[in-house]
Amino acid sequence: MPEPTPPAPPAPAATAAAPPPDLPAAGPDEVALLIDDRPVVVKKGTTVLQAAERLGATIPHYCYHPGLSIAGNCRMCLIEIEKMPKLQIGCATQATQGMIVRTANQRVKWARESMMEFLLINHPLDCPICDQAGECRLQQYAAAYGKGASRFVEEKIHNDKGVPIGPRVVFDGERCIKCTRCIRFCDEVSKTHELGLFERGGHAIIGTFPGKALDNAYSGNTVDICPVGALTWKPFRFRARVWFLRNVPSVCTGCARGCSVDLAVYDHRIHRITPRANPAVNGYWMCDLGRQTYEALDDRPRLERAEARVAPGAPGPAAASAVPGGAGAMRITPAEAVDRAAALLRETAARHGAASVAAIVSARLTIEDLFMARQALRAMGVTRVVVPPHESGADDDLLLRRDKTPNARGAAIAGLGRPDAAAVARLAGDLASGAVKGLLVVGEDPAGDGMVKPDLLAGLEALVVIDAWRTATAAAAHVALPATAPYEADGVMVNFAGRVQRLRRGVPAPGLAEPGWRWLRELGRRFGLAGTWNAATQVFDQAAAECPPLAGMSYRSLGATGAPAKEA
Amino acid sequence: MAYEKLLLKNVGRENSHTLDVSLKAGGYQALRKALSGMTPDALLEEVKASGLRGRGGAGFPTGMKWSFLPKTKDKPRYLCINADESEPGTFKDRLLIERDPHLVLEGIILSSFAIDCHTAFFYIRGEFQKGCRIFDQAIAEAYAKGFLGKNILGSGYDLDVLTYRGAGAYICGEETALLESLEGKRGLPRIKPPFPAIVGLYGCPTIINNVETLANVPFIVERGAAWYAGIGRPKNTGPKLFCLSGHVKNPGVFEAPLGIPFLELLNEHAGGMLHPDRPLKAAVPGGSSMKILPANRCDVLLDFDSLAAAGTMLGSAGGMVMDSSTCIVGALLNLAEFYEHESCGQCTPCREGTGWFTKILHRLETGHGRREDPDLLLDVARRVEGNTICPFGEAVAWPVQSYVTEFKSEFDDHVTKGACPFGGAAVQG
Repeated sequence: MPEPTPPAPPAPAATAAAPPPDLPAAGPDEVALLIDDRPVVVKKGTTVLQAAERLGATIPHYCYHPGLSIAGNCRMCLIEIEKMPKLQIGCATQATQGMIVRTANQRVKWARESMMEFLLINHPLDCPICDQAGECRLQQYAAAYGKGASRFVEEKIHNDKGVPIGPRVVFDGERCIKCTRCIRFCDEVSKTHELGLFERGGHAIIGTFPGKALDNAYSGNTVDICPVGALTWKPFRFRARVWFLRNVPSVCTGCARGCSVDLAVYDHRIHRITPRANPAVNGYWMCDLGRQTYEALDDRPRLERAEARVAPGAPGPAAASAVPGGAGAMRITPAEAVDRAAALLRETAARHGAASVAAIVSARLTIEDLFMARQALRAMGVTRVVVPPHESGADDDLLLRRDKTPNARGAAIAGLGRPDAAAVARLAGDLASGAVKGLLVVGEDPAGDGMVKPDLLAGLEALVVIDAWRTATAAAAHVALPATAPYEADGVMVNFAGRVQRLRRGVPAPGLAEPGWRWLRELGRRFGLAGTWNAATQVFDQAAAECPPLAGMSYRSLGATGAPAKEA
Repeated sequence: MAYEKLLLKNVGRENSHTLDVSLKAGGYQALRKALSGMTPDALLEEVKASGLRGRGGAGFPTGMKWSFLPKTKDKPRYLCINADESEPGTFKDRLLIERDPHLVLEGIILSSFAIDCHTAFFYIRGEFQKGCRIFDQAIAEAYAKGFLGKNILGSGYDLDVLTYRGAGAYICGEETALLESLEGKRGLPRIKPPFPAIVGLYGCPTIINNVETLANVPFIVERGAAWYAGIGRPKNTGPKLFCLSGHVKNPGVFEAPLGIPFLELLNEHAGGMLHPDRPLKAAVPGGSSMKILPANRCDVLLDFDSLAAAGTMLGSAGGMVMDSSTCIVGALLNLAEFYEHESCGQCTPCREGTGWFTKILHRLETGHGRREDPDLLLDVARRVEGNTICPFGEAVAWPVQSYVTEFKSEFDDHVTKGACPFGGAAVQG
């Protein structure tokens, strides 16, 4: 029986006998090249991989990431360049004038097939229990470029699995393909230098330096950029198969940066938040705190129905019933609740003068909420509006902001003013002195946050709260109206740098919670506010018409990455 | 005509590593000549004209390498001396470092002068503790005598030479891994381009030369390029140190002009085969990374171009001789284990391929081979070769390819017999 001979590697493609097609003219800072016979003009310094992307062609890669330095170690992007005897890596090879590149011929396919086989010989192939399955480059490329079978019959190299290399990240040494993206992230982006490559050859392994853990404010990004299942995000481990997840493009509400994010939704719950590339805001990254902002939706007690509270013995509304809000709390219908809130505020103003009623409005709300708050307060004749600041930590030089209100600039744009600690202090003083007798609180918890002493609220004649959470303030309110939490409603926010971005509703709100602007619209109507707003987009359209920084903007025009506010 | 030893002329003398002995034997005369009359450019041209090719393995023309430095001098330029001699079977630089460090040092000073470098780094293999101690002492003597430091021999030229000991990784002999290691990082080869002559040590233009290469420079300066080019063969000029080990009577380092026949080196310099009843089976003339030649093709001249024509390479001239008792599969397994251990683990084909080779070869050698294994070895080697960041891929792929191709029947025998015909001595434990 004749010996089967292994196929020789395909020879380099012969130089075309015919002259190559004419290249388009390139400017002084540009080069023109041919990629798979298609001409493209790119800036000098552009790599072949980037030039191919310009043409919509895919050069597969693991270690290359546009936000990191070039490592050139995975060898998956090997391509053929005419006049170069060896295959070259597309990620590190700069395009030059007249270069002739082939990304899909037999020789390149042979090389990709080779790399896939190499990468998989020591890979555990534990896809059925791997969280990365479904969004794994090894799976994608094995299907697209692999041979579908391995000739490796030996024992695989074994390594540590399930290693908690940080408080939020778990490492699997067997799945790792040593692309070093995570190391480069910690060296170049977070600049925290926790990770290194240890040992050599097939036993090379990613790890933390002695005495260090992968515990920085941005550690979750290593999980995002890990092309395989080697790094997994602890809160997401074994929670959901990714093919069931629906990614809703939205905006993080953790601080004034407003990173573009994807909300991964399944079964009406958010299971993780990952950054969405937006060069104008967050590049490719987001912080670990932002990734956990959705956890409050599950963990924090919610206000799910309208509640009213009356003094013992006083006549309550007809539909009142016992509710979890504590002594004296009653559940009433939404319309009755708004009626009651309006009556309380109106009576207080009538008794003590218009100046005795004030409002606290949160800069964590959307433009829609804030704009409607402005409309309603104007109708009510309330002129004193306080926007409390929320600051903690410090601005770092990557993304995190000291200002934890995601829409502080939006509050100013909507005409409510910027967050102002002095105004909060003055209001607290006037509450103490009894000058303020009626208070509308939207999205804030002055009693719980220590802005005012809780017993001061007890002396109010009208305390109306619109909030998502069952806060100390809501518990003391005469009327509490349930609002949507972040990620439960559509809206727009303006980040600290003036970037106007759209938040999209990822999950439904519980109970009878409504977006804040709907409650404010109803409240305003009790005071004669006219206007037909049935959807967030209509509110925004009017805000855009009336607020010059938003002029000409619409949900459609904001698109996926937003637009800069027009500042006077 | 008897060949006049140059590189090893001092090696037999007592205390040959001291400056006194070196000076008595004419040491640093070339330095005096260069610094008193030659311009750096003239020196560079002289080296170019001599035809000197790098002795580290690739045989790249030294003068041409130097001329790749950028013309502008807005950054310091560095010379790194690659004394990380780690190729199995190669031990020539070690001899020069330990026995004639002043010849090497003179070459370093001359070369630094030629490329306008004022700081040279001597990167020495970590295991060469003795060599490093001797070389440090030589450097101290040279400073004391005014051959190093400020205003060398009154010429106005300044040079400092620093030694740096590696930490025992084979890969750090690869020039860009050497630079990474020298910078205090893990020794991983860099992607090229940019080449070190443009972006090298600490981002500055850097020349990396082998120890033996630089030891040739004093002779070129002292006696002229034309004289030097007369040694050896056209385009393969000058004296060369050849290592020979394995089944030979007198293993060691031998100096001869480039182009000496391999059989002459084996029979006359190394005293022939170790056991008269065990004839030559195969030899690797160039070092462990180079392709093997079966005995019937060992009648070759030892120079860069002749060996390339014979299908192998001169490499670092670390010749290894195997007699008829050698199991080729076992020999390759031994090599493969070395390369698996030394692969830096950075790029996919080398990291994964080197371990795969070892596993297949281990199976073959222990009698568990499959009929398709030799072809699998060849195919995997083809997929490693040329696809890696650094030449390590070739360094492992070439031996695998050549051992399997040249001795295919021996691999097949391991499969059909289900055991090593030679007793499997290569497998330990």
